[in-house]
Amino acid sequence: MHSPTLIFSSTLLIIFILLTYPLIVSLNPSPLNKKWATTHVKTAVQTAFYASLLPLAVFFDQGMEVITTNWHWMNIATFDINISFKFDQYSIIFTPVALYVTWSILEFASWYMHSDPNMNRFFKYLLLFLIAMITLVTANNMFQLFIGWEGVGIMSFLLIGWWYGRADANTAALQAVIYNRVGDIGLILSMAWFAMNMNTWEIQQMFASSQDNQATLPLMGLILAATGKSAQFGLHPWLPSAMEGPTPVSALLHSSTMVVAGIFLLIRLHPLMEHNQVALTTCLCLGATTTLFTAACALTQNDIKKIVAFSTSSQLGLMMVTIGLNQPQLAFLHICTHAFFKAMLFLCSGSIIHSLNDEQDIRKMGGLHTMLPLTSTCLTIGSLALTGMPFLSGFFSKDAIIEALNTSHLNAWALTLTLIATSFTAVYSFRVIFFASMGSPRFLPLSPLNENNPTVINPIKRLAWGSILAGLFITSNFLPAKTPIMTMPMTLKLSALLVTALGLLMALELTSLTNKQLKITPTIPLHNFSNMLGYFPSIIHRLAPKIKLSLGQAMATHLIDQTWLEKVGPKGITTSQIPLIKATNSIQQGLIKTYLTIFFLTTTLSILLITLI
Amino acid sequence: MKPGVYSALALALALACHYRRSVVPEIFEKSLRAFLIGYPKRCPPVSHSSIARAEGESVGESLEKMASGFLTHQQKVLRLYKKALRHLESWCIFRDKYRFYACMLRARFDENKDEKDMVKATMMLKSGEEEFWANQHPQPYIFPDSPGGTSYERYECFKVPDWCLDYWHPTEKAMYPDYFAKREQWKKLRDQSWDREVKQLQVETPVDGLKTEALPPARKEGDLPPLWWQYVTRPRERPM
Repeated sequence: MHSPTLIFSSTLLIIFILLTYPLIVSLNPSPLNKKWATTHVKTAVQTAFYASLLPLAVFFDQGMEVITTNWHWMNIATFDINISFKFDQYSIIFTPVALYVTWSILEFASWYMHSDPNMNRFFKYLLLFLIAMITLVTANNMFQLFIGWEGVGIMSFLLIGWWYGRADANTAALQAVIYNRVGDIGLILSMAWFAMNMNTWEIQQMFASSQDNQATLPLMGLILAATGKSAQFGLHPWLPSAMEGPTPVSALLHSSTMVVAGIFLLIRLHPLMEHNQVALTTCLCLGATTTLFTAACALTQNDIKKIVAFSTSSQLGLMMVTIGLNQPQLAFLHICTHAFFKAMLFLCSGSIIHSLNDEQDIRKMGGLHTMLPLTSTCLTIGSLALTGMPFLSGFFSKDAIIEALNTSHLNAWALTLTLIATSFTAVYSFRVIFFASMGSPRFLPLSPLNENNPTVINPIKRLAWGSILAGLFITSNFLPAKTPIMTMPMTLKLSALLVTALGLLMALELTSLTNKQLKITPTIPLHNFSNMLGYFPSIIHRLAPKIKLSLGQAMATHLIDQTWLEKVGPKGITTSQIPLIKATNSIQQGLIKTYLTIFFLTTTLSILLITLI
Repeated sequence: MKPGVYSALALALALACHYRRSVVPEIFEKSLRAFLIGYPKRCPPVSHSSIARAEGESVGESLEKMASGFLTHQQKVLRLYKKALRHLESWCIFRDKYRFYACMLRARFDENKDEKDMVKATMMLKSGEEEFWANQHPQPYIFPDSPGGTSYERYECFKVPDWCLDYWHPTEKAMYPDYFAKREQWKKLRDQSWDREVKQLQVETPVDGLKTEALPPARKEGDLPPLWWQYVTRPRERPM
C-alpha cells in the first residue's frame, strides 16, 4: 500500500490510542499515584501532539486527505452507520492545534489545581473531553459527530460544576446543559431529516444528494445547534456563567475547543448551505447581532474571566458572520488562531487570579506589569492578537474576514455591526490591560505573587509563540478554496485597522477620564444595560420558567376540570340546551284551556289517523 | 409553642443525638437542631465589648436589644452609610478619587447628624435610601469568600463531618493510632457532658422563645460550653 497513506491513517489511530490509554489505566481499582495526572495524562497529550504533526506535514506537503471507515457498526439493508473518520484539511489542522493548546493547559492545570485532592479526576475529565472533541472533529457521519457533540456537552457540565459545593457552580452547569439541549433539538431535527430524505448520515452521501434539493429546514436545525453550542445571541447566557468552573476548564472548553464545535459543524456541512440564501443570511445576521451584543456587554464587566468569556462569544459571532459570507475556510482559520490567543488570555488570567488569592475582580488588581512581567506581557500579546494587530496570528484571520465582509454583496447593517464590534474589541481588551497590569496595585500587600514556577511559565510562553506564529504558519501552507478578492479601495482594505485604532483611541480617552473621575457614576442606564448583559438573563431566566410553570399549572388544575365538567360535560349540555328552552318557554305560559283544547284535538286527530291507516 | 412541649422535644432530640448513629447529614442535623432547640451553631463566647457592631455603634447596643427584631434609627443610618461606601468603592476604582468622594459622603452624613426631630430624620433616611437605590452599582465588589463572591462555598464539597471518622476501616485507623485513641477520650467526655449541656440550655432558654442565636458560655465550674463538640469538630475553612 502507498506508504504516505499508511503513515497517515496509522498515526491518526495511534493518537486515539495514546489518548485513551490513560483512561483505561485509571479503570484499575487500585488508587492512582499522586503524580499520575502529570506523568500519564500530560505526557499522553504531548506525545499525541507530536504524533499529529506527521499527518499535518504530509497534508501540507502533498495535500492528502483521508477517509477511513473502520467498522461496520449498525448496518441494515437501507441504512449504514459505520465508525469512519474523515481526516480532511479541517480535522488535520485542528487536531494538532487542539492537542497543543490542551497540552499547555494541562501543564498549567497541574499548578493551578495542585491543592485539589481530586486532581487526577480533573485531568481524567479533561482527557475525556479531549477525546470527545477529537471524535466530533474527525467524524465522517452525523452519528459519530453526535456522540462527540453530546460527549463534550456532558464533560462541560461535569467540569463547570467541579466545585459542586457552590450553588452558583451547579446553576451554571445546569444552565450550560439546558441551553445546549435547546440547540440539540435542532441537531436531532436535522439528523432526522437527513435520515428520512437523504437516507444517510454519511457526509459524502449527504453532499452528493444535496445538489438538487435545497431544503431550508435541516439547515435551520443545524444553525439552531450552532446557536446553542457556540453561544450565539438567544442561547448565549450559559457562556459567561460557565466561568464558574476552574480556569483551565474555561481555557480549554469555553474558549478554544467546545464552543467552536457549533461553528465547526457548520463548516463541515457547509456545502449543504452554500447555495441556500436564507441559511446564509440567518448566519450573517445572527453572527452580527451576537458579536455586537456580547462585545457591548464586555465593555463594563468587572470580572476578568467574564470579560474574556464575552470576548470569546464576540469572536464566535464573527466566525458565524464568516460562515454567512460563504467563507468556511476563513472561519476555520479564525477558529485555529483564536484557540491560541484566547487560551493564553485565560491562562494569564488564571496566573493572576491564583497569585492574588482567588481575586477575580479587575477593580482589585493593578500594577502587575512589575510583579508579574511575563504574565502581563503575554496578556498584552494575546490582546494584540485578538484585536488583529498586523502580522500576529489574529491578523491573518480577522483582517481577511473583514476584507471579505467589506467586499461582499450583503446588507450594510451586518457590516456596520461587525465593524462596531471590532472597535469594541479594542476597547475592552485595553480595559483589561489597563486595570490589571497598568497603574499601581490595588490588592493586598501580602499577596503571594510569583512567576518562578516553570509549570506556569512554559505553557504561557508556548501559547505566546503560537499566538505570534500560528497565523503565518497556517496561512502560508493552507490553499484557499475560494479566491480572495485582492483589489479594493484603500479605505476598505484598512477598515479593520482603522476601526481598531479608533477603538483604542476611545479607550485611551475614556481611561484618562476614569483617572480624573469627574463624577461618581457614569450614565447609569447605558452602563447598567451593558453590565446586566442587556437584561437578557434577568428577563428570560424568570419569564420562560414562569410561563412554563403557569402553563403546567393551568393544564393540571384548570384544563381538565374546565374541559370535562364545563365545556364537554354537564355545563356544556346546559349551555347548549338553554337557548332551546328559552325559545320554547314562551309557549309554556300557563294557558290551561288552550293546552286542554290542543290536547283533545291532537288525541282525536291521532285516533282518526290510526283508525284510517 | 408551650415551654413544656419545647423542652420535651429538646429532650427527645437530646436522647436521639445521644444514641444516634448519625446517618443524618450534618447540614440537616444543624437545621433540625436549630428548628427544635433553636441553637443552630456554636458562636464563640463573646463579651459585650467584642460584640459585632456596625461602624461607630455605641457600646450600649447590647445583644438583647439587637435581637428584638427591629433596627434602631442609628443602625439603619449606619448600614446605609456602609452600603453607600462599598458601592462608592465599586464605582470609584482608584483609591485617591474614592477617598475624595468618601469624604464628601461623610460630610453629607455629618451635616444632619444632630437632627433631633425623628420624623424629619426618618424622611431624610428614606430619601437617602432612595438615592442609594438609584445610584447603586449593578455588580458591587464582593470579597471572594463572602456570600456571592467567586470562591464562596467553593470548598464545601470537601467538608466532611466528623462522624465519618467512625466509619473508617480499622486498618485505616491504625495509620493514625494516637489521633484515634485521643478521639475515643474526647467522645467519652462528650457523652459525659452532654446531659449537663442540654440541661443548661433548657434552663437558659427564655420561656417566651429565644432572643438570639448565640450560644451561652459555660456557667458552672468544670462544665463545658453547650454544643462544644460541634464547634470543636467543625471542618476547616479551606479543607486540604
